[in-house]
Amino acid sequence: MAESTIARDTAEQVAKGNLLYETQQRQARHFRANVALSWGILLLILLFLFSGQSFLGIKTIQLDYEFIRSNMAFIGRGINDTLLVSVLSIILAMILALLAALGRLSTIPPVYALSTFYVSLIRGTPLYLQIFFFFLALPQLGIILSGLWAGVLALGLNYGAYMSEIFRAGLSSVGKGQREAAMALGMTPSQTMKRIVLPQALRFAIPPIGNDFIAMTKDSALVAATGFVHEIMWNAVKVGRAQFRSLEALIMAAIFYWMMTLILSYLQSKIETRLSRGDR
Amino acid sequence: MKRLYSVLVIGIAASLMLAACGGGGASKADNLLDAIKERGYILVSTDPNYEPQSFLNTAGTRASGTKCPSDTLTTAEMQGFDVDVAKAIGDSLAVETCFATPSWDAITAGSWADKWDVSVGSMTITPARQAILDFSVPYYYTPAVVAVRADSGFASLEDLEGESLCAGAATTYESWLNHDMEALGLPDSSVYAQAPNVTVVALETDQECAQAIAAGREDFVGYVTSETVVDANIAAGFPVVKLGSPVYSEDLAASFDKSSTLPTDTLRAEVDNLFKAMHNDGRLTAISDQWFGADLTQAPK
Repeated sequence: MAESTIARDTAEQVAKGNLLYETQQRQARHFRANVALSWGILLLILLFLFSGQSFLGIKTIQLDYEFIRSNMAFIGRGINDTLLVSVLSIILAMILALLAALGRLSTIPPVYALSTFYVSLIRGTPLYLQIFFFFLALPQLGIILSGLWAGVLALGLNYGAYMSEIFRAGLSSVGKGQREAAMALGMTPSQTMKRIVLPQALRFAIPPIGNDFIAMTKDSALVAATGFVHEIMWNAVKVGRAQFRSLEALIMAAIFYWMMTLILSYLQSKIETRLSRGDR
Repeated sequence: MKRLYSVLVIGIAASLMLAACGGGGASKADNLLDAIKERGYILVSTDPNYEPQSFLNTAGTRASGTKCPSDTLTTAEMQGFDVDVAKAIGDSLAVETCFATPSWDAITAGSWADKWDVSVGSMTITPARQAILDFSVPYYYTPAVVAVRADSGFASLEDLEGESLCAGAATTYESWLNHDMEALGLPDSSVYAQAPNVTVVALETDQECAQAIAAGREDFVGYVTSETVVDANIAAGFPVVKLGSPVYSEDLAASFDKSSTLPTDTLRAEVDNLFKAMHNDGRLTAISDQWFGADLTQAPK
């Protein structure tokens, strides 16, 4: 008798559990559907703001859609250079950030000083100024970088300084016990760094790097200032100015940047999900 | 991890190699003209912010097999009066014409670090610029005018006393507004009027002035720029009118960097001869008619 009661209770509990789970799932689905609906409404409001129509006395912004149609493809062609600059810069930034983070953890005073000096100098000056510095100052030393490489150097150095904090946090996230265990196994400090600390630190650092890469695709617009990198912003400013349609041209650039960010954010969330599988 | 390291190493190596390439190859030429003929293209800087002088041809595609460096534009991607004049220079030297597009203040500041050979960008000859740049003979002349909002009711320069006017930064229009006749450096016969005493608002280019007014901003009542630009503004439907007659006339010429590594004298002589020939045989007039609908190539009397 007692056994069947237990069996019935368990079945009931399972049923209850399933019900609870289904309710939660349904609520989550509802939430997602409502978020999507709200996004759609916000997007419609944004589109209405640029329709040029007046509705219930609300004024909206009038744009020259003929200009937009005929210049969309040209401005969009700048995506290649925007991505090229961003990818090259993030590679340089990662190298510099890793070196700066290792330097920051160093016990050798000049190395520690070099690392902190670099981070302080770069974080203490505007990126816009740094881009012009490499474009204008280096030729005096006989180093003539193309606009692209001057921009990549400036962006890479700038982001490297900020990202060094990410790598430093990653390196310190690896417990002291692991280093001690590695030492007990007879590994040298460099072996410990290469085999134990770095692999874990890099996994910790990847999501914030993705975040910085997304930010960089937009900061790469500053490289247009030197005039030699024909990326989205440069294309937009030039066709906008020559044909007196700067507002339209900048809005088109904004759309391209937003689209790129949406795609990159999606990829980043995929990578994060993948990485979190390792966490148990 | 090994793979990550090799990616990093390759990344660094590639960066260094490409950076080294930016320095340019060695050349045997001992003057700029020979260097241009040797490499097969002339690199002209122009500021594609101005229709009809110099603007992008968004429908044009880069010719395959072009000699132009990748960060420069080809003749197919550019159009305008200055662009056609630049093409004529390239053609007369039997080389391809390529366009570098640095910002205007980088061109007028001099010290080009050999990044381009010559500027063909409607540049006014001024004494301040002559200290750092060498100029060709003028290839055309534009009158500078004051433009004001159409509904402002201003009728003469005197009416503008105490108001705000806009001009592009580092332009002769800004110098004129600031009563800086030394920087303007024009002969008295070319200056037709003195600027009223106004607050000067200097924006990045002249084009921001007109667009700010069209957008409904009220930071200034008008702006000073070349008559050709105002005509283009009016043609684009901007609510502006020209105020009276031109205030001065500018001699516009091609310019060369005094700090160029290779001497520019032979190239300058070629360009001078070409411009003189084009003035004489009517080729400049034809290009001017095509882009401005008027002949701006005659010196003011």
